[in-house]
Amino acid sequence: MNALSAPAAPPRQRDGLRHRPRLAVDAVVVAGVLAVVAVGLSTDRFVTVANAKAIITSASLVGIAALGLTLIMIGGSAVSLAISQSVAAIGMIFLSAQSLGLIPALVIAVVVGALITGLQGAVVGYAAANPVVLTIAASFAIAGLATGISGGVSVAPSGLGYDHLNATPGGVALSVYVLLVLALSLEWVLRRTAFGRSLYMVGENRVAARAAGMPVGRTTTVAWLAAGALFAVTAVFTAAFNTSANVNLGGTLTFDAIAAVLAGGTPISGGRGSALRTLAGALLVSAVSDILLLRGYSTGVQVMVKGLIVLAVVVLVHLRTRESHA
Amino acid sequence: MMLARVTRPDVLLPLTAVGLTAIAFAMVPVYTDTTLTTFDVYNTLQIFARLGLVALALGITMIAGEFDLSVVGTYALGGMLTVQAGQESWAHGVLAAVGAGAAIGLVQGCVIAGLRLPSMPVTLATYIALLGLTSALSGGLTKTYSNPEVTLWVDQVVLTYFSPRSLVTLGLFVLAAVILAGTRWGRELRAIGGDRRASRVAGVRVNRLLVGTFVVSGALSALGGSLLSFSLGSANPDPGVQPLILAAAAALLGGVSLAGGRGSPLGLLGGILAVALLAEIATVAAFPGYVAQLFYAGLLGVIVIVDAPDLHHTVTRLRARLRPPGGGGTRPLSQETP
Repeated sequence: MNALSAPAAPPRQRDGLRHRPRLAVDAVVVAGVLAVVAVGLSTDRFVTVANAKAIITSASLVGIAALGLTLIMIGGSAVSLAISQSVAAIGMIFLSAQSLGLIPALVIAVVVGALITGLQGAVVGYAAANPVVLTIAASFAIAGLATGISGGVSVAPSGLGYDHLNATPGGVALSVYVLLVLALSLEWVLRRTAFGRSLYMVGENRVAARAAGMPVGRTTTVAWLAAGALFAVTAVFTAAFNTSANVNLGGTLTFDAIAAVLAGGTPISGGRGSALRTLAGALLVSAVSDILLLRGYSTGVQVMVKGLIVLAVVVLVHLRTRESHA
Repeated sequence: MMLARVTRPDVLLPLTAVGLTAIAFAMVPVYTDTTLTTFDVYNTLQIFARLGLVALALGITMIAGEFDLSVVGTYALGGMLTVQAGQESWAHGVLAAVGAGAAIGLVQGCVIAGLRLPSMPVTLATYIALLGLTSALSGGLTKTYSNPEVTLWVDQVVLTYFSPRSLVTLGLFVLAAVILAGTRWGRELRAIGGDRRASRVAGVRVNRLLVGTFVVSGALSALGGSLLSFSLGSANPDPGVQPLILAAAAALLGGVSLAGGRGSPLGLLGGILAVALLAEIATVAAFPGYVAQLFYAGLLGVIVIVDAPDLHHTVTRLRARLRPPGGGGTRPLSQETP
């Protein structure tokens, strides 16, 4: 996705031929983004300040969870399909812990979130269990527990501290600032720390990483713990925004987060990707959803378009990385 | 020779699963205050009919070393198309559903085989898109099927224990078993699941077989959705993850491995019968919904962890680390016992 990579390649006779598919993929991506921009500009009420705020607010909620999923994907454990259910359960815990005060409730939410997802990560990291099937089971278990404990009714907040999270400093939702800070810190962790480096290596080649004596299980578990903490941050903002929480609080968040990470160009096979890419992907997916909403399409159509975006990006990223490996 | 066959995991696992669940089912009167009737057996087979085709569809893609997450999306779409296209004639509904399922499978198979993409991300994308499409087709609402004769016909009691729906499902399992056992497709399917590269070199037409597998998987799950819509007299745009959980648990209990290359339709039949028996026990014992939900999630979780390739490795390493240097960690304990 960056035009500089073609001239930087070593000069070889077949260079032009070798890079033709890669340029074609880039051209398709640019055309796709331009098409979204064009449709957006021609959509009524799209280019307004209020709408821009709506897009970045929805991008911030999806984006924070997608940052967590980025860690999981870079580490080579594909996806978690339990994001919506984790977010719903944490939202319920957060609101019912309001009587303890805002800060303790936040701490409880983040710790519980990290543990729920980190436990799944430990199984994936140490035993190499299939993450997709495991998280499907986990999503069902979390939803079951949440239903059992809450009795199937919505949880109302037991205090008013949560309302601070709905603040809009400078006219922009607090969650947008949180997203930016988290994305930049995560990018720094991935690029500059030993943990970040080993996460890329584990994701690139698990067997080689283990042979090199790297702590594969621990690295994966830490990535999932951090992912769970990030899911919890999305959960507290979503719960505060809705002022009540039930098992459906997460909505289509699992799919939205997957679409955001993949639309940013992070391959599902691991070993590559970045937090900033996910940030861009979250903005793109939110903008597309917003356009569909403004044009009066139903939730079903929005979900379908997200699925098609994921499909297109999976194919394009595969074509492009296969080309650069060949 | 016979013994060697029975101890193979793809035979042993489904046999054990069916055996244990059948015993648990027969002992229901012991731990609840209900008695078993022939209706309970009929009902078990109804649960089997509800999930069987999805489990078979998922299972055959798993034998080929792939994982078709989109089966539940196709299942939902098939059910919805049946209701919307089949109001006048049930055959039109079934044709629309099976045709759409096969077409979806064809597209997915061509993308996966042609570009050599892993199936998980592709079918995940299709799963999301199909749930969206189904919801868009119905406006997000449950649609009713106003043809009560069909609903009564598919669920009428036949031969005490069966219904036309469970007989059709059972028949397709037998057909799949006969085709995979009697033709070279069965061997080739396991071969491409076990070692894709070696089977390509050995002359297996891998791409064609993969596309065929996904077409069959799409058609079977769409037909499963069709039958469910006839039975319920309605179609729900969002089936949730329960069918996927139970189908995956059934396939894994049926001796199919997530690594591919292992399993058979008869094993799958055993796996899904075991799951249906468990579901019927949960119904008869009147567990609250969320308890049954936790139970299924726990079942699938345990199977996935046991199936995990590195589990053995990690346990061995942990044991080596816990054992004091010099070896013989268990010996002092055994000496203490009189």
